[in-house]
Amino acid sequence: MPENDRKDVSQGAVGREVEAAVNEQLAGLPPGEADAMRDRIRRRVQEEMERELRARTSKERREAARLAREARKQEKHHEEGEMFQRFNRNFRFQHMVMFTSVILLIVTGMPLKFPEFVLSRWIIAFWGGIKNSTIVHRIGAGMLIYFMVHHLIYTVLTRDGRRDFWLLIPGLQDARDIAQNIRHFLGKTPDKPRFGRFSYIEKFDYWAVYWGCVIMIGSGLFLWFETDVLRFLPKYALDVAHEMHSDEALLATLAIVIWHFYNVHFNPDRFPGTLLWWHGQLSEHEMKEEHPLEYEEIMARRTKESAEVTTR
Amino acid sequence: MRRYFLAAVVFFLGAGLLPGPAREAGAAISLEKCTLCHGKPEFRKLLVDGHIRELYVTADSLKGSVHEKKACTDCHFDVAEIPHRERPKRVACTHCHFKGNKEGAPQSDNVLAYFDSAHGQAIARGNPKAPLCQDCHGSHGINKAKTADSKVSRFHVAETCGRCHMEIYAQYKTSIHGVMLAKGIGDVPSCPGCHGEHRIFKHTDPQSSVFATKVSEQCSKCHSSIAIMSKFGIDVEPAATYKESFHGVASQFGSRTVANCSSCHGIHDIRPPDDPLSMVNPKNVPATCGKCHPGASANFAVGKMHVDAKKKDSGIIYWTATFFKWLTIGTMLALIVHIFLDMYGRTRRLRGEQ
Repeated sequence: MPENDRKDVSQGAVGREVEAAVNEQLAGLPPGEADAMRDRIRRRVQEEMERELRARTSKERREAARLAREARKQEKHHEEGEMFQRFNRNFRFQHMVMFTSVILLIVTGMPLKFPEFVLSRWIIAFWGGIKNSTIVHRIGAGMLIYFMVHHLIYTVLTRDGRRDFWLLIPGLQDARDIAQNIRHFLGKTPDKPRFGRFSYIEKFDYWAVYWGCVIMIGSGLFLWFETDVLRFLPKYALDVAHEMHSDEALLATLAIVIWHFYNVHFNPDRFPGTLLWWHGQLSEHEMKEEHPLEYEEIMARRTKESAEVTTR
Repeated sequence: MRRYFLAAVVFFLGAGLLPGPAREAGAAISLEKCTLCHGKPEFRKLLVDGHIRELYVTADSLKGSVHEKKACTDCHFDVAEIPHRERPKRVACTHCHFKGNKEGAPQSDNVLAYFDSAHGQAIARGNPKAPLCQDCHGSHGINKAKTADSKVSRFHVAETCGRCHMEIYAQYKTSIHGVMLAKGIGDVPSCPGCHGEHRIFKHTDPQSSVFATKVSEQCSKCHSSIAIMSKFGIDVEPAATYKESFHGVASQFGSRTVANCSSCHGIHDIRPPDDPLSMVNPKNVPATCGKCHPGASANFAVGKMHVDAKKKDSGIIYWTATFFKWLTIGTMLALIVHIFLDMYGRTRRLRGEQ
């Protein structure tokens, strides 16, 4: 065994590294002692390196798996190129919580706005009566409130959250993008606007959800705890909250069903939908197509980083 | 011989063809026999439980009623001997009153409806206090409901029901409906107006016209009719706004616990809101709302109750609704235009135009 070990060690880069470490240790010693120590030190260094290998962090392992996946994918769809992580796991979780709660809320809320509609009766019957349906509505409400709190904390505390927040603030460039996009649709200019990490469409979606959440959660809490609210406010305040809740619900539902569904499902580029919400990744092709500025930025950063590495 | 036979035939045929007076003579004979005893005002019987049963009947008893032309034994057909050996049975109206009868009684299935009803079911279970036909319609002085002095006429029926339902009758009499009825206004509902005529069920029975989920429908029959409500200067909006409110919607979806009209306005004791005894008087609103919303404060009464966001006089609620209406129209218009422009652009590019 020791012979075998020695043979391995003396082979390749690892072997050279071990030899270097051993030599470093033995540098100051007289040759007689050094020979005696050499074998022991060599064996210990070998053991240490093995332990380190075993203790490779799970993160690295995941990264390796991801790279392997990507390589496989690239073999299959080589035109898509590298996959870019667009949304992190936290953000995707938030989106999932939100759409689950919003679906629950719409399904249990809309029948109240359109009780005459045939489907409404079925939906209420599906939940087993109006009482159950209101309970489900409150479960959905709880999830949406959780989402809102989670997102606020995420925005404040995480680096990605802070970066995205600043990037999501609308600016003059967005107005220019809208104008150019419309000109592009009408065939007046061949160039699409070049978007950064967030296009004006995504910025609108984000702030629409913000506005919707504030209105719906605010008025919804009024309606949920009506007796307590009426201790401090007159009844017409509750009526206003009711009106807001009902009207904003319709606006939000229409925006989701028409606008959001068109952009992520019925749009010919996406039909019938992508798995972006699940894995959070965009292909290189999509990045170049839809977020060219961000793509260029990432590429620039990479060349800069690799340049730094080589100079070091 | 042959001549006598012919004469006999002519005589019998003639007797059959003889008009009214001769037949009434036959009935009168029977009446005469009955009134030998029943025609004495003091003719009555002391029952074992101490009650006195009046047995005084005269030729005038049936006069003016729908059974004017009937003889005693047409209904009391089990009476065969005088004096009666057994007590004559209660008259069974179903003898004539069924669909398809040939006695000339109205062709109606009301008797079947009655047997389905709470009253008929109680009779079927053997409840001796449950009412039979004659308890409401009367025995000898029976008249159509349209006749003013009928026991079941619009103005008298409440009193008739009140003979058994005394507490409810007392409440009804002081309610706005009862008071208006006493003033001779025929538009207000008496008992059958809400409960139905023969198909009367307990309010806990889903068949009932005043079952929790059907109450608003009952009230709306009149309270959503401009023709009726304009006579009294009452708004018809509440019927519609209730239907749109959460209470109304939940009720339409079958909730029995959610508030219906009578949860707030009262059942038999409905009074106008300015009446201090009214459940919806602003002073009493917290208590009324508090029945379902424990801890309801005085603020429950601040603001219009049946508020319609589409009407300008709803104030801030109207303006909220208007703001959201235009926000929705504006936003959706912009988004849809964007979608169509996008699709237009795609089509152009697909066609190879630039």
